[in-house]
Amino acid sequence: MEGLGAEGLADSPAAAAAVAAAATPTWPTPLGRDPELHLLRRATFGPTLLDVVAVKQIGVDAWLERQLHPPGISDPAGDDVLGLYPTVSMSTDQIRANVKENDWLAMQELGHATLARQMWSARQLYEVMVDFWANHLNVTNPFDGGWDVRTPYDNDVIRAHAFGKFSDMLLASARHPAMMRYLDNASSQKRSVNENYGRELLELHTLGRDGGYTEVDVRNSAYIMTGRTVNREGQFTYDARRHWTGEVKVMEFTDPNGNAAAGMDLGDSFVHWLAFHPATATRVAHKLARRFVCDDPPQSLVDRLKQSYLDNGSAVVPMLRTLFSSVEFWMSNGLKTRRPHENVLATARIVGVTPGDNTKQGVEGIYNLTNQLGQAPLKWGPPDGYADVAEAWGSAHATLGTWNAHRAVIQARFKGVASPKPETFVGLMPATVGEYLDTISLRLLHQPMLAEHKGALLAFLGAEEATEVKTITLNNKIQHVVPLVLDSVYHALR
Amino acid sequence: MSEPTANEHRRAARPEERSERGGEQALTEPMTDMTSGRHRRQYVTRRVEQRQRERDLLELGRHGPNLPEAAIRVHADRVRAELAGEKDRWRKGFTRRRLIAGAGAVGVAALGSQLVTSRYAFAADPTNTRTLVVIFLRGGMDGLSVIVPGGDANLRRARPNIGIDVAALLPLDSRFGLHPALAPLQPFWQSGQMTAVHAVASPDASRSHFQAQECIERGTATTSMHTGWLDRTLTAMGPGTTFRAIAEGDATPRSLVGAEHKLVMDGIQSFALSGAGNVRDKTMAALEALYTGFDHPAASFAINTVKALNSARKIADARYETTADYGGGGFANRMRDVARLIKAKAGLRLATIDVGGWDMHTGLGNVDGGDMRNSLTDVGRVLGAFATDLGTQLGDVTVVTMTEFGRRVAENGNAGTDHGHGSLMMLLGGGLVGGKVHGKWPGLAPDALDNGDLAGANDYRDVMAEVLERGFGIGDVKPIFPDHEYARIGVMK
Repeated sequence: MEGLGAEGLADSPAAAAAVAAAATPTWPTPLGRDPELHLLRRATFGPTLLDVVAVKQIGVDAWLERQLHPPGISDPAGDDVLGLYPTVSMSTDQIRANVKENDWLAMQELGHATLARQMWSARQLYEVMVDFWANHLNVTNPFDGGWDVRTPYDNDVIRAHAFGKFSDMLLASARHPAMMRYLDNASSQKRSVNENYGRELLELHTLGRDGGYTEVDVRNSAYIMTGRTVNREGQFTYDARRHWTGEVKVMEFTDPNGNAAAGMDLGDSFVHWLAFHPATATRVAHKLARRFVCDDPPQSLVDRLKQSYLDNGSAVVPMLRTLFSSVEFWMSNGLKTRRPHENVLATARIVGVTPGDNTKQGVEGIYNLTNQLGQAPLKWGPPDGYADVAEAWGSAHATLGTWNAHRAVIQARFKGVASPKPETFVGLMPATVGEYLDTISLRLLHQPMLAEHKGALLAFLGAEEATEVKTITLNNKIQHVVPLVLDSVYHALR
Repeated sequence: MSEPTANEHRRAARPEERSERGGEQALTEPMTDMTSGRHRRQYVTRRVEQRQRERDLLELGRHGPNLPEAAIRVHADRVRAELAGEKDRWRKGFTRRRLIAGAGAVGVAALGSQLVTSRYAFAADPTNTRTLVVIFLRGGMDGLSVIVPGGDANLRRARPNIGIDVAALLPLDSRFGLHPALAPLQPFWQSGQMTAVHAVASPDASRSHFQAQECIERGTATTSMHTGWLDRTLTAMGPGTTFRAIAEGDATPRSLVGAEHKLVMDGIQSFALSGAGNVRDKTMAALEALYTGFDHPAASFAINTVKALNSARKIADARYETTADYGGGGFANRMRDVARLIKAKAGLRLATIDVGGWDMHTGLGNVDGGDMRNSLTDVGRVLGAFATDLGTQLGDVTVVTMTEFGRRVAENGNAGTDHGHGSLMMLLGGGLVGGKVHGKWPGLAPDALDNGDLAGANDYRDVMAEVLERGFGIGDVKPIFPDHEYARIGVMK
């Protein structure tokens, strides 16, 4: 696979950005090469005006350093979200005490709160990583059997370890009621072994399909994990009576497994072994590079991230540091296409949608929109998580959906949240239509459009570059021309 | 010396910018001691620099009403100039991976591409242009109330309240009769354009809605199969138009999950730009212009969407005339839409529709009234209208109904039925073997039942595999239903 035009590890993100700025990209794109904006497009769910000011003020190194330490970031908006959705912070016991049995309220609040945090939390890189891990260890939200356990999965497995160690996250997932129920391990036992979890543990969570395991290995993996189940109070429990005993072998991992009482520890050892298998390191590295750099990431970068994973006991933050200090990252402007959910969020964030007089209603509206587009947060059905390549989202359905989303946001059709009027993007009324469009472009796209794209908008308005602006709303055409600016390729890429 | 920040680097690269920022700082920078010669030289240098900065600021001030504003605009000019230099490069940058328009699907990323290209293409496969319409009756439809083993004493005994009198049934073959609410379909049965398979199930489906639907729509017992059977069917069908696969409704059904592109819409008129008011045409023109003139996969996705929207508009704007009476309601509207798309020759190969409400635990009713009669009345009217509407084109279509499981043979305490196993698939369209209910019929004797339910004597995959093989020219159905040995039932000629 060809490179991006420059590669290597620099001493700091800023240094890597400097090397990249001086190099010539192999895959030039319409997006400008401004490193601060590039960082924001990748490390957040879309730059807000404040983000742009902040990163230009303190520089990429300092901005990243802050983002890598979420507790140090004051996050009133994120706290407000937690206040709106009380079940999101609850344990299984608390949910069972506060929510009617089998009511999906907590799962619904989790979906909405996730979207709201992605939209408004100041801890953006953290939210991006929470999203990344939630897809990697996907447990669909909502799912049948998750009414009391899916929400704590988000807190105790994903959020607790999103900036920790993947091995810890994996171990936590391997003993969480939500995962046990979702992948049928709760009902797997020695007399009737269910291979679902044993298989996905190898195929999706760790080694990957090319990891070198066989169907016999899958079976053995399922044997090892028998006994891990959920009790009637929705709590994880290990039931030795259900544990399959006898020699087990999954690739190089073997154990006599003669004592069911030791089955839980055996499972943990197995999961630990899987977490540190080179194939797992490669897979996590590749996924991370795919999310942050490009759909088909250069091997140099994947190898470097894999090494970081192995050198640092699967710790996430060192991997991120390596990623952002890699020249490949800074060479990849515009090489990711915003998926529908990312496009909606980036739109809301650059426009400046904020909580309003009925925030929950507004968030629900936006959530339902992402669902129509096929990418509601956490809602992907199968355990493999949402696809992270442009091709998967290239359907006319998704494209039309994002164009309609732009109109819905600009025309303030989401009741309950506050959407700035598009006139506010213009500031002082420019003299000419040409300047008007330039101002809108800079405000929403952070760069001017190419002359021919601006020409398309001039044609739409029936105006010329020098035509005088009579009203700030361009005779009410602003509600149509601003969405067109967001429909353009400059907003579609990141 | 500390590491240069990106800002400092950019200052180094762009001296004008350095002096802008320097200019602002100079205004507040204190004068140093001028007593020594060294300081004098530095002072002179700083004065020269300061005058330069003041000139720069004046220059800058011309760009906007205040410094930040002006700075933005100057920055924009710089970026524009940079982009202009880059313009031709990225514009032509993807020529080597230009999408192949016309026949043939585009493969995944050509060597060296950084953006995986679309698998979607324009021309329909010319050899088979038939349309498959899959209707999923959600909730578990009680097949024994729909196509009834008339006169079966076991059934009579088990359903004192909800059983259907033999006299009320419309005759189908020697063993079965049709619920009278499906009367509109009887002519099609008689003409051989409708048939059915009874006692159909998925052997791996439990009596849980979620598990059974997931299992059937996945098309295999293997839970690691992440795509749906209809997505794999689309792959087998080959490339087509944007309208090749449509899920009528507001979400992608599990059966269609996968990489093949499909549209999700609630009627062709909903496949449109919303909020474009009376500037829709101008907006479409602008969208096309925004994505013309450069070669990038994003441009291809966008132009394809514009083309599809234009086609949809033509179809939606043409008044749809039909004598068929679908009646009202969601199912009616969606089936009418499917008929419309078929007649518009938009290249529709696969449509899916959900009909809910079949989970009749209580008050199933009887032949005179109740939930079953109401639901079947709707189904009968809509499917009958669809078949009438298509007329001779019905031969180019195969409609299949399926459900996640049937119901228990014995009615429950609420004059309804609980979750069961074997149920019914109905088929409507061309190429069917008519005149009888197909498949093995295990009967309703107590020892023939599966835990008190009609047994799953026939595998739904055998029905579908046969339809796909004989009705849609799909040579190898194994990828669609892996882990299953297909055995022909004989529903298609």
